[in-house]
Amino acid sequence: MALIEINNLHVSVQGKEILKGISLSINAGEVHAIMGPNGTGKSTLSNIIAGRDGYQITQGSVTFDGQDLLAMEPDARARAGVFLAFQYPVEIPGVSTSAFLKTAINAKRRDQGKPEIDAMEFLKLVKAKNKALGIPDDMIKRPLNVGFSGGEKKRAEVLQMTLLEPRFAVLDETDSGLDIDALKVVSDGVNALRDPSRAFLVITHYQRLLNYIVPDHVHVMAGGRIVKSGGKELAHELEAEGYAKYSTAA
Amino acid sequence: MRATGLLDHPFREAYAAKLGALPGATQAWVDGLRQTARGILNASGLPGPKIETWKFTGLGDLAKVPFGPAACAQDIDVRDIPLGVPRIAGARRIVLVNGVLSEALSDVIADPAGLRIASLKYLLAREPQTLKPILGGLAASGSLPLAALNTAYMADGVVILADKDFPGTTLHIISIGAAGSDPVAFHPRHLISLAAGARLTVIETHVGLPGQSYLANPVTEISVAQNASLKRYVMVADDNDAFHLAAASVSLAAHSSLDAFHLGLGGGKVRQEVNVSINGEEADCRINGLYALNGKQHHDLTTVIDHAVPHGTSSQLVKGVVDGASHAVFQGRIHVAKDAQKTDARQLHKALFLSKGPAVDCKPELEIFADDVQCAHGAATGELDPNHLFYLMARGIDRDAARALLVAGFLEDAIVTITDETVRAAFSNVVQSWLKRRTA
Repeated sequence: MALIEINNLHVSVQGKEILKGISLSINAGEVHAIMGPNGTGKSTLSNIIAGRDGYQITQGSVTFDGQDLLAMEPDARARAGVFLAFQYPVEIPGVSTSAFLKTAINAKRRDQGKPEIDAMEFLKLVKAKNKALGIPDDMIKRPLNVGFSGGEKKRAEVLQMTLLEPRFAVLDETDSGLDIDALKVVSDGVNALRDPSRAFLVITHYQRLLNYIVPDHVHVMAGGRIVKSGGKELAHELEAEGYAKYSTAA
Repeated sequence: MRATGLLDHPFREAYAAKLGALPGATQAWVDGLRQTARGILNASGLPGPKIETWKFTGLGDLAKVPFGPAACAQDIDVRDIPLGVPRIAGARRIVLVNGVLSEALSDVIADPAGLRIASLKYLLAREPQTLKPILGGLAASGSLPLAALNTAYMADGVVILADKDFPGTTLHIISIGAAGSDPVAFHPRHLISLAAGARLTVIETHVGLPGQSYLANPVTEISVAQNASLKRYVMVADDNDAFHLAAASVSLAAHSSLDAFHLGLGGGKVRQEVNVSINGEEADCRINGLYALNGKQHHDLTTVIDHAVPHGTSSQLVKGVVDGASHAVFQGRIHVAKDAQKTDARQLHKALFLSKGPAVDCKPELEIFADDVQCAHGAATGELDPNHLFYLMARGIDRDAARALLVAGFLEDAIVTITDETVRAAFSNVVQSWLKRRTA
């Protein structure tokens, strides 16, 4: 059975249908990429998976590890192992990054019947992960995402993912706003998590990211539908030819 | 006939008669102060809803309570400092029960060189000449009705005199309200006077014991001389059936500073009023605050900062969270006189609604008569940002915990304005427990 199974998903926002029947099946250990022009519903799909309010799901289902994901609250989804790396991580003044990380880690540990993480253990863990991601240690003392550069925000998202060890991670335009060095660091962070028990859905507009996070499957999304699926070579084809023919097809 | 909009009240002849002779009554000037104040009270009563600055804080319910003077209540015996009072490490505790200094509960230690602490009662009886220059001058009875009520019946309080260049210490004045079988009122008068170059930190904690209603009516007169600096941290956490009507007036001389923080956690009806006169150039006034209210609590922070001379700075950051059917009021008037060029005055008030029931009234007022000044004010009220909530929940944090994190985060930038680390930690703990009680 696939780890995540999206079946004929229809989603509207304020009466306007954005997703028009998405079906996607992702097995543990796989990396899928969804590419497509802007405004085609890619971010809607990631928000639906994470459980954001404000959408009407008119038809279809999303199953995660056999559970009805759409029936779960966002926090329960996260604790079950679903992670969304946000395209635009929000800045939350007053909440320190470290307090936030610790609370998130402990929420998951509590669900698993584990004791809260020890303060020293937490610091050691974060320091080790920071180093790999090129994040300065003092970043966790700052308020969550406040004043972080675009690159820092994306690194912080990957740091959170690394610490929370999800089973299924959606990366929503994680490459946007990154220079080539940051892109490589972020990709290395993601690649380090690739594992036979874990699956990824990488959403991107550009093929560039997929040079670093090499997908097993690539899907083209246009007009709220998946219009083509293929192997990693499909990404190169899109890079060369653009989305024009799919936009008209949709 | 009383003037329109003013309330009748229980603090008239019968009340005065019960109090009998007040300390210092034989001093003509003290008696004069009291007579003037009593005259104001008798003539005009307490401020009613038609008085502009009292529009949002009605005293109709107070006027109906048959308060007697706390000094005459016989059945009150407070043996311990209540648990709700934060322990401030290194601070000398001065405890008042119903406005009267309690030697039994206070830390009895010798005053350090350069600092004198005495009770108002003692000084009124034994050394009235010490008080003459500092009592009644600042809190002009007419402009502050609460001060008039206090002046009419002041019987005790804490007098703190710091000599020139006193290097600083921390005092914690703990005020415990405790009505016995009948409602009581008390009117402590505190005087804080810093000579040139002196430094001092004063924490005032107001708490109460459950029981009949009481009215705490403390008035503090503060004078900060040249180059002196005062840190003043006030926490009001009175009983939910209690009234707390406080007024403080502060005079700042050149190059002096007031660094104040007002924490409001209750009381049934609370008004903290602070009037600051910046009388010397390059004085700096900071009045920050935080309130957290629920149930039927009412909390009013009203400040007036008067920039009378050039090159003064003032800043205010007040943040609050409201829940239940509570009512918060913030009124902040900044007056910049014609001559007060190069004034820099900033004010920001933000309130967060935790439910649909509460009300918040905010009235910033800038009166600027100088032309070369920097003044800014802002006010905002709202609810938690759903995007923030979603972000935290998307990381596995449940809704209640996420809300608690966000509310604490909202209040954090007010907390960090408390420059004394020990007090900051103590007040922060108090706020954290408020938040925990709320979500528990």
